[in-house]
Amino acid sequence: MAGSKGREGEMLESIYSVLALVFILVACVELGDAATVVDVYRLIQYDLAGVPFGSRLASLNHHAGSLPFAPGADLSRTVVIIPFREVNITFLRDYIMQRQPLGGLLLLLPQNISSESREEAEEGDRNNGKELIRSELAELEKLLVHVNIPYPVYFAFEDDKITAVLADVKTNDATGQPATATTGGYKLVVSTPEPKKLASPTITNIQGWLPGLKADGDVNQLPTIAIVASYDTFGAAPALSVGSDSNGSGVVALLEIARLFSLLYSNPKTRGRYNLLFGLTSGGPYNYNGTFKWLQSFDQRLRESIDYAICLNSIGSWDDELWIHVSKPPENAYIKQVFEVAWEHEQFSKSRVTAVTLSELSVAPELLESTGGLSDSRHFVNGIAVSRSVKLVAESLARHIYGHQGKNIQIFADGSSLAVNPFYIQSWLDLMSQTPRVAPFLPKNDPFILALKKELADHTAEVNVQHEALDGIFTFYDLTKASLNIYQVASVTFDLLLLLVLGSYLIILFSFLVITTRGLDDLISLFRRPPSRKVKMA
Amino acid sequence: MTVFHFFNCAILTFGPHAVYYSATPLSEYDTIGTSVKAATVYLGTALVKLVCLATFLKVPENDSFDPYQELLKALIGFIDVAGLYFALTQLTHRNISQNHKFQAVGLGWAFADSVLHRLAPLWVRARGLEFTWEYILQGLEANANLVLTISLAALGSLMWLRKNKPRALVPIIYACAGILATMPSITSYLRRGLGWHLPKVVGFELFASLMMAFISWQLFSACQKPSA
Repeated sequence: MAGSKGREGEMLESIYSVLALVFILVACVELGDAATVVDVYRLIQYDLAGVPFGSRLASLNHHAGSLPFAPGADLSRTVVIIPFREVNITFLRDYIMQRQPLGGLLLLLPQNISSESREEAEEGDRNNGKELIRSELAELEKLLVHVNIPYPVYFAFEDDKITAVLADVKTNDATGQPATATTGGYKLVVSTPEPKKLASPTITNIQGWLPGLKADGDVNQLPTIAIVASYDTFGAAPALSVGSDSNGSGVVALLEIARLFSLLYSNPKTRGRYNLLFGLTSGGPYNYNGTFKWLQSFDQRLRESIDYAICLNSIGSWDDELWIHVSKPPENAYIKQVFEVAWEHEQFSKSRVTAVTLSELSVAPELLESTGGLSDSRHFVNGIAVSRSVKLVAESLARHIYGHQGKNIQIFADGSSLAVNPFYIQSWLDLMSQTPRVAPFLPKNDPFILALKKELADHTAEVNVQHEALDGIFTFYDLTKASLNIYQVASVTFDLLLLLVLGSYLIILFSFLVITTRGLDDLISLFRRPPSRKVKMA
Repeated sequence: MTVFHFFNCAILTFGPHAVYYSATPLSEYDTIGTSVKAATVYLGTALVKLVCLATFLKVPENDSFDPYQELLKALIGFIDVAGLYFALTQLTHRNISQNHKFQAVGLGWAFADSVLHRLAPLWVRARGLEFTWEYILQGLEANANLVLTISLAALGSLMWLRKNKPRALVPIIYACAGILATMPSITSYLRRGLGWHLPKVVGFELFASLMMAFISWQLFSACQKPSA
């Protein structure tokens, strides 16, 4: 008897230990997934000379709220969802400047500016609406990039799921009860590690060299013409900064010009007496840091042989006006060592190389402005403007190289074998519009950089790639893209109520079973045992 | 907060079994051994059913009601009945009365069923942040299942363990047992064929279980009269 009991005890113990092990293993299983998962893009986080800018936090675990704010509400544990059309820039600026607490901010961008959307930019009335959106986005971006925000800020594209969630949140808020742990609602969770500094970000310059025709017995170095465009971008959401116009249009124009001149230069009879140097530089938004370093790396002879340089910047959305910006030669070389460099050609001027910038912008952009951010998507650039720019630059170059100024010859005429290829331009514009190109987030051997290198190698004789470290005053932090989980949660009061109901149900069930199987006396005796014992003692 | 929800659903799903055991005389006569044996038989039956289902059923493309598949499932469901028969008659129990034997067997059977079918989804999903009514409804279903299983065990003990039954009642007993055995097919027909939503199906199950419990109680007490 005792033996069998002992064996039974051992069996039970081993069963318990197996069960415990199973439970521990199962506890490692991840918690259930959310009803809605949305891709979100984080606001950029950077330090400029030690001063912090942008959104300083990444992980998010708060309830959702919406505009308008209830007066006196505590929003430090609420994530406010604001669709773009409801954004009031002055209100937002005041709120941020006054350092009001907030759990987080989720800005919803219109779907039609996303790179997934396939609408083409059309002329006509739609442009007016789009122009308004573009300028408002630019204003929002300018605000967010130049302030220090101590809570997470994310961008997302509007779709059905998130619109439904927002409508629900608005109706809940309208009843006057902002969502907290006790009232239920929606919870937004982004679980990411803390953002870390990017160690030694690199900028990569790609140059292509197309040599000219040296006549026999010509000892001197041929003169060189440089065509330069910076290809990287900067914006409020680095994962969305595709910079179709600034400066995707410049890069595409440069590639097309390279293609046309490589056709001309492939035949010794049409090879000009000028070398052509094509430069795709990085570090554009940061005072053209990459251009500066690229020029520093030049041989003295090469630098002196450059007749002039043409820098291309934002030539994709102009109608009638295209500007050429020149700089006055510095009277005193030391005066020009200013911190801010507005146009790319100014870096050339610093090195005593004549240069101009061709752009649709009439005024020089300020630091970190017009650098291809949120508002610069595929819809705001059109291939026709780029084609016209290409034709303009190519014809001017050809006129200079082949020396037929004054004569009415069109080398790159439409319909000829040297015509500007609109399909080439369209496909490269499409590619640029789908590739975010913020330099610190582009590693040395990023496929995009290799693609540019290969394309330039197809059109030129010699390609060199230069890797440099980005200027020390800029420090960037990682985590540009995340997944937002939206959970619908029940309040604590609901759980407590449920516990109460279940407790009373079980008690009623217990009493019912005792009464039906053992009789009412047994139930009463369960509660009356102590007094009866006392009676017995007496 | 969500572990709270898990706790709530767990006591809804498994609480009634514990309450049933402690409230009725089962605890006084220490019939836990019988329940454990019944649970083990259920495990074996479930294994056999799984193998048969895997061998004979096709994977359905859509969620509609396929009569032939449902017929096959019902036939395989009769393995359940065979398992109950085995648990009631073939296992050696300590000296407990008929009355308590079927209750203990039914309790063990229903508890094993709840644990196998409902514990894992509950543990994995109810702890998440997302709130759904699903697990509360599942708990209610477990309650209905308990009542149904005990009724089936009662009718089973009537059919196989009691020798002298009034003649008139025998077909009724077999009919009720048949209904109880095919209850899973009936609910799946309601869910898929008629397109009822889960709350409605659970409501039907609760109502049906109470009805069948009442009927089996009447039948049981009617059969008890001669020996009393």
